[in-house]
Amino acid sequence: MAMIERTEWYDLLRATNWTPKYVTEDELFPEEMSGHRGIPIEDWETYDEPYKVTYPEYVEIQREKDAGAYSVKAALARDKFLERADPGWISILQAHYGALALAEYGAIVGEARMARFSKAPGNRNMATFGMMDETRHAQLQLFFPHANCKLDRKWDWAHKALHTNEWAALAGRHFFEDIIHSRDAISMGIMLTFAFETGFTNMQFLGLAADAAEAGDHTFSSLISSIQTDESRHAQQGGPMVKLLVEKGMKADAQRLIDIAFWRSWKLFSVLTGPMMDYYTPMEHRSQSFKEFMQEWIVGQFERSILDMGLDKPWYWDQFLRDLDETHHGMHLGVWYWRPTVWWNPRAGVNPDEREWLEEKYPGWNDTFGKCWDVIIDNLVNDRVEQTLPETLPLVCNMSNIPIVGTPADGWNVKDYPLKYKDRLYHFGSEPDRWCFEQEPERYADHLSFVDRFLAGMMEPMDLSGALKYMSLAPGEIGEDAYGLAWADIYKEMAHKKAG
Amino acid sequence: MSQDASLNNMVGPIVRAGEVADAVAEAMEIDNPGKEVIVDDKLAYLRISVEDECILRKETMEEVLGHSFEMRELEINLSSFAGKIENTKDYVRFYFERHL
Ligand SMILES: [Fe+2]
Ligand SMILES: [Fe+2]
Repeated sequence: MAMIERTEWYDLLRATNWTPKYVTEDELFPEEMSGHRGIPIEDWETYDEPYKVTYPEYVEIQREKDAGAYSVKAALARDKFLERADPGWISILQAHYGALALAEYGAIVGEARMARFSKAPGNRNMATFGMMDETRHAQLQLFFPHANCKLDRKWDWAHKALHTNEWAALAGRHFFEDIIHSRDAISMGIMLTFAFETGFTNMQFLGLAADAAEAGDHTFSSLISSIQTDESRHAQQGGPMVKLLVEKGMKADAQRLIDIAFWRSWKLFSVLTGPMMDYYTPMEHRSQSFKEFMQEWIVGQFERSILDMGLDKPWYWDQFLRDLDETHHGMHLGVWYWRPTVWWNPRAGVNPDEREWLEEKYPGWNDTFGKCWDVIIDNLVNDRVEQTLPETLPLVCNMSNIPIVGTPADGWNVKDYPLKYKDRLYHFGSEPDRWCFEQEPERYADHLSFVDRFLAGMMEPMDLSGALKYMSLAPGEIGEDAYGLAWADIYKEMAHKKAG
Repeated sequence: MSQDASLNNMVGPIVRAGEVADAVAEAMEIDNPGKEVIVDDKLAYLRISVEDECILRKETMEEVLGHSFEMRELEINLSSFAGKIENTKDYVRFYFERHL
């Protein structure tokens, strides 16, 4: 039997906008779920997905992908890479899985919303595959770390983290609930698939894969780069939405959604990916700096694609480029200092040769962030470890829900961006964070940041031990310095030599 | 301040390192005569870039690999791409609509 080419039947097959008989079109596609914006359904039918796949093709290709990822895992299981891996690398894996494995489940819901409520048949078809993609990502990223639970309780946080009120998990949930769980299908499609997936996920799933390959972790490198092949397909759903909105005179709407999602993604990656790439990855395995990866993936590739859509750069673009030199250093300093409050062991990454590397990649580092580390190192050299540990909580941003940071010492620009809304005073880490809030204050107004909760007496007793309990961090899960502070020995020796 | 790298016109596939990635790099040279094909090896992936537009043909992939290859199999290793994509059974094309 002769087979008809896919190109000849695909468009007809996915033309599934049948005329409803028992309900009205508005009941079938309620605006708050669909986000059709009053654009007629015939116009949504012009939505042309650049990546066309049929079910048999999908199954065949996905089977190949899974066979690849699982066979690399099986082949390298006896290699016992984790037993010889740098503790900083283990921390990267634990932070990665905890922050992302369950977020992938969240993404299934987002894909499902498009699959059910988008008025564009091509979108619904691609989102059905997207739903299955995200199921694959969630399951892979629970299955791989699960094998390590016997080594260390922190691996269990792959599944546990997003179920807790740990502050970084809380920040992640706030972000994902904003862009995935509480938006109509089209807004979500633009924010999640276009802004987050064609943009930022490349940092974590390909940039980090490059570092993983350098570090010899081929299981992880193969896993995350394989996951990203699904992303590169289903992330294409947002583009045609933006195109249609621009055609219909709704460019400002699309631009605003992207600007919010872009900024919020950036803040999340500055605390997650930034420290991993520039501090946790052993120096000899760093293929590029975090800033260089951001230049490659976000500035060179993603922002360029925004311009190709006929959209503009975000209004905060110059500040964003400036922040590439700064924000994540402050985040790292904070995460290391508040290390008992995370489910991984932060690696300081400030040995003399590492500081040289940082100075080379970020000129001026020693005169700014380096000066804070000088104080920490001085305390460690003089056995005042308690002074390198927190007694209070940092000021947290009411949008990003991560600490408010800036550049210390010679480059001082630490600043709170407050906003009074309905008798409550909110604090933000930057102008764009405050701007995100102002776009739709009611969406965010009731949320309590970690610090708001502490001050509201939701943690008992009202000290670090109460905060740890509130975060479900038990002994064995509480973060410590990745090397048990042994990295500071070299500074002790230097001080001895100087004194002697 | 960092210079603004968004002002570029480079398009092309980012392919997971391996046999297929090497074949793509080679096939791109053949399929895009007269154009400079830049291959940036990041160990885990190859970033293959051409200015404005480039094409990758199934026929050429088969020639380079020495065995049959369906265009859709590229997805197994296509982790990302710069520019827009046009997917067909015989070729994949990466392009920008506007030249900056
Ligand atoms: Fe995913
Ligand atoms: Fe995704």
